[in-house]
Amino acid sequence: MKKILALLLALTMVFALCACGQTAAPAESAAPAEESAAPEAPAADEITLDVIICQYGPNTQDWFLGTGMNGTNFVDKFEAENPGIKLNLEVVSWNDVYTVVDTRIASNQAPDILNIDVFANYANEGLLEPVSQYCPEELYNDFFPSFIEQSVIDGTVWAVPDLASARALYYNVDMFEEVGIEVPTTWAELEDVSQAIIDYYDGEVYPWGIDMTTDEGQAAFAYYTWGNGGGFVDADGNWALNSPENVEAIEFALSLYSNGYTNPQPATQTRYDLQDMFAAGKLAMVIAPNSLPTYAADKDSTVNMATAAIPANDGKTSSSVGVMDRVMAFKDESAPDQAARDEAIGKFLTFFYDPENYVGWVSMEGFLPAVNSAVEALVAADPSFEAWLDVLSSCQFYPTAKAEWDAVKQGVITAEQNALAGASVQDELDALQAEIAG
Amino acid sequence: MNSSSTVKKNRLALAMLLVVVAAVAILLSLPAFRFNSCVYTKKSPNTFVGDETYQAVSAEVEQVAEELRAGGIEVTVNETVTERTNSKGETTSLVTFTINEEFTKNGWSFLGAGLTSSWVLLGILACLLLSVVCAFLGTLPCMDTSYRFLDSRARMLRSASCLLALAAFLLVPVFFMTNTYTLSRRVALYSGGIVTEGKEALYARLDSFLFGGAAGENIDAALKDLSFSNLYTLWAILPCMLVAILAGIQLRFGTIKHALLRGLLYGFVIVLCLFILYPYYVMLITAFRSNAETTDMYFQHIFPTEWKFENLKHIINQGVPRYLLNSALIAGGATAIALICGIPAAYAMARMKFKGKKMFLGFVIMSQMFSPVVLLIGISQLMGTLGLNDSILGLMLINAAFNQAFAIWLLRGTFVAISPEMEQAARIDGCSVFGSLWHILLPMAAPGIVTTLIFVFINSWNEYTISTVLISTAANRPITVGITQFSSFNMIEWQYLFAASLLATIPVVILFMFIEKHLTAGLTSGGVKG
Amino acid sequence: MNERLGKRVGPYLWLLPSIALMAIFVVFPIAIVFKLSFSEVSKSGVVGGFVGFMNFTDAVSLPAFRTVMLNTLVWVIAVVGFSTIIGFIIAMVLNQKFRGRKIARAILVFPWATSLVIQASVWNYIIKYEYGNLNNILLNLGIIKQAINWRATYQIEFMWECGVGIFVTIPFVTFCVLSGLQSIDGSLYEAADIDGASFWDKLFNVTIPLVKPSLTVSTVLNIIYVFNSFPIIYTMTKGAPANKTDTLITYLYMLSFYDRKKGPATALSVIGFLILCICAGAYMLSVMRKEDEQ
Repeated sequence: MKKILALLLALTMVFALCACGQTAAPAESAAPAEESAAPEAPAADEITLDVIICQYGPNTQDWFLGTGMNGTNFVDKFEAENPGIKLNLEVVSWNDVYTVVDTRIASNQAPDILNIDVFANYANEGLLEPVSQYCPEELYNDFFPSFIEQSVIDGTVWAVPDLASARALYYNVDMFEEVGIEVPTTWAELEDVSQAIIDYYDGEVYPWGIDMTTDEGQAAFAYYTWGNGGGFVDADGNWALNSPENVEAIEFALSLYSNGYTNPQPATQTRYDLQDMFAAGKLAMVIAPNSLPTYAADKDSTVNMATAAIPANDGKTSSSVGVMDRVMAFKDESAPDQAARDEAIGKFLTFFYDPENYVGWVSMEGFLPAVNSAVEALVAADPSFEAWLDVLSSCQFYPTAKAEWDAVKQGVITAEQNALAGASVQDELDALQAEIAG
Repeated sequence: MNSSSTVKKNRLALAMLLVVVAAVAILLSLPAFRFNSCVYTKKSPNTFVGDETYQAVSAEVEQVAEELRAGGIEVTVNETVTERTNSKGETTSLVTFTINEEFTKNGWSFLGAGLTSSWVLLGILACLLLSVVCAFLGTLPCMDTSYRFLDSRARMLRSASCLLALAAFLLVPVFFMTNTYTLSRRVALYSGGIVTEGKEALYARLDSFLFGGAAGENIDAALKDLSFSNLYTLWAILPCMLVAILAGIQLRFGTIKHALLRGLLYGFVIVLCLFILYPYYVMLITAFRSNAETTDMYFQHIFPTEWKFENLKHIINQGVPRYLLNSALIAGGATAIALICGIPAAYAMARMKFKGKKMFLGFVIMSQMFSPVVLLIGISQLMGTLGLNDSILGLMLINAAFNQAFAIWLLRGTFVAISPEMEQAARIDGCSVFGSLWHILLPMAAPGIVTTLIFVFINSWNEYTISTVLISTAANRPITVGITQFSSFNMIEWQYLFAASLLATIPVVILFMFIEKHLTAGLTSGGVKG
Repeated sequence: MNERLGKRVGPYLWLLPSIALMAIFVVFPIAIVFKLSFSEVSKSGVVGGFVGFMNFTDAVSLPAFRTVMLNTLVWVIAVVGFSTIIGFIIAMVLNQKFRGRKIARAILVFPWATSLVIQASVWNYIIKYEYGNLNNILLNLGIIKQAINWRATYQIEFMWECGVGIFVTIPFVTFCVLSGLQSIDGSLYEAADIDGASFWDKLFNVTIPLVKPSLTVSTVLNIIYVFNSFPIIYTMTKGAPANKTDTLITYLYMLSFYDRKKGPATALSVIGFLILCICAGAYMLSVMRKEDEQ
């Protein structure tokens, strides 16, 4: 007994010692590497940038930190090409990224460069540097202007788009042929088609997928309200969450659910669940991003799919939904040389958006680009991209530049979920509008 | 036990066995399964009533029905029209024609059907009959001898009889499961076109079983909407078998109550263990499935069709070994620190008198009441100030601190339970306080210390939220944070998630199993005394 | 003189490392949380000035506050209650002598030794309607003919979460009770047998009083741990739909990092702390009174 105890204690001690030694180890091993890369750069001039990247897909981490970039990775390649700048790059899962970033901000350890979807709060609270401070002119002009517009508050650009994805309606072609129906363009047709599918397959196939989960319920709000002439904001850009169009739209979405046309649990079945169902031939129609075919192929799917516009209410125009993520730079008052820091950030961006790197990044995860220079290469690699770029140019985006966007996003999800559980849509949206705008 | 009552009980048991055999024979002759087979189905595409599509389909169906009747199958033709008015005001419809045949089958009809379940049924009958034979052979020559004094041959025969009755009993649910599996699930997968291999053989067997081979080429369509319900007469075999087991037990042990209680105990433990192991089994088999198979919506395979060991290779390439090492370092370091700080404190609490002792105990308990989740901001600020962000050392300290309360509580209880006399004796012999602590108390308190060690180790190993926020370099991540990379924005890769989870679980489980016997001892001497 | 001083200061020196560790790494963050709960906190987490009790009033007037409090109550009572009862029964069984007892005990340890995040992910996968393993097994064994939606409503989902909570809590209770059972002197039962006591007599008059101390310890610790338990609910439902399956801890996490109402969130964490203090404080008082009597 005594021996075992002594052994265990000794082991834990060894562990502890190893660990203490280990925390020091990376610094030691890192130093020679820098010397070899940049022998002439004195250590004092070295700039370290803390970068947080969101984990978009299974390859993100490998691309930035592993061996996913043709055997090397983003950080190594960048540091080799830009001596004197060190990247402390971290890939964080979407589940945790808000927690990580907010906690770091609260303890004065904001990252230098952040890749995330929202920016308005950070900008309004004076945490961000304007893009003009660090973004090289040439690169700035390369961004799609319609994308840059989405990151403007009071005339200042606070962030640059890193990638986008557009959503469209995917449908199962074989299923539609077998049942003898056409792709729906209006809500009424959607109901007809759904009923026909239910009848034909005896309810074995869900006609329509709805995702009102905490993950992405705001997208559902956009799909239906924009298809009914409503939306998050009115024509003047003020919040109009409880407009009659919105109420009608959400009630329509809920009626699809209550008529049994949708997946059984819209409040907890995420987009992946819907995509899985679609790939398995259990779901006839789903609104999904352009990466769906790749996703389905990974699941060995044999579903024959095609895209169409998202159905809108009768007499209203269908609008495609675009989702865009951003890269932004935080202020750092403590940095000794602001100009050098800005330049380093600029170099990071230039390197990131260099078609040589950027094209690989965008196509790897099946997203759409945000810069003109990447378009050519992407279209050459995959002709289907061109159609998507057209969709993208007509896309509507979330009003992310408004300060209340976070609260609205969470608020519409809560409203949808409450309504799913039986609450009145009107009451829910009224309460939300009162909370946001009143 | 006197011999006349033994004889009586043995006779009763043998009679019960005979009754069971008779009852089973009768039950098998009763109607047991009702089948409603859609010999032919035709669904029209979305159509309008009365147009050509409808006419054509209708004629086609009538013709098929005639053919079937000519082949000797009694069928009825049904037609259902589902009408809908669409948004343009047109009335469209879905017309479903079905040609049905309804019939019942009894248990005997399964024999020789060639289905898997028929072999099971054969097994049940064989077990039952053998059980009866064994019981008679093992009992008749020695009716009045009680079990203790039997010769080994008779013992063996009686045990065999008991076990065979048990086997027959267990095979009854198996029979039903294989039936449901073949008749509803396998057929559904085949006729849905989801699985194709092995289809013809099963179809041929089902044709001979259900239609006596008359369905022929139409068997494919006939099975498409096969519905069946069992009439529960076969389930009545189950209580009969129970009687057989009781008879067997009576012959085997001569007393039923003790044997039944024992059986119940084992039954409970086995069910409990299976239940606890179930999630681990899921983890194991999912870890080796292919990406497509993890989300297989038709539930085709209970085990992976192909064991993908490259999943393991993939996660190892993704840095999982490094994460495991980090976790081991963090947990090991935290444990060491918690013990180094906790042992003196617990010693003082147990052996010394001073003011503020209760306050300290209250303080210790209080420190447990905040979940680390709500302290994130505070911890992050603190670590930033101390320069311990993104360091394994920082996580060690945090984990040690958050486990101090339990460590002190447990160790104090352990020390209190050990009489101080030995130490006092050692002190008189000239040993220092530390000497007596090290040489006398700690060895005696070993079980409690091991318990504490395990507890702190497990808690630190499993800590997740703080690490997420504090660690920013991939190389410093513990395993709990590391596995989140397998559930990304684009998809959850269940197979990698579970493969990594498996690797994260195994070391702790092994450690725990190794130390389990000390664990109960430690809690006895420690925690209990509060 | 020196010796006397040593006697007086000595105990505190022994406590010093432990106090230092906890003061720095536990008390300091707690103090920050208290400070935050009275400060204005911006959406991104920038800490502003003192605002009095505003965060608290905001927190209490949140629409989901009542639901969440009720859920927390159900969660704690269901998980602690059921795991204590089931754990007790299992401990009684495992205290019997039978072949394979060691293996059974080792297996029982598994849920305790597995990270909650992992446990919750596995169960989340098991009960998926479309491809979950439970449906897979039942279908392939032929027990059911149609896949069953195991999480049809949020009430059922909450029950599953409680079930997973119970599943992972049982081992701790069992081992606490087992240690209590093992310390019971066998002669007590022999004496009871001689008196002709039935199984229930022995259970209520011998076993339960003697394992009571270990049951109390496990119950109090479990109340604290279960109240503060986060990963199960966060992994399985994230509180959806609309916080109806949230407990206090997951709710304030969502409030802080998803709704970005950081002020009310910290206020809620202080409220939770106070609730726990009252419960555990009552226990501490009773324990100390007993010790004083001894």
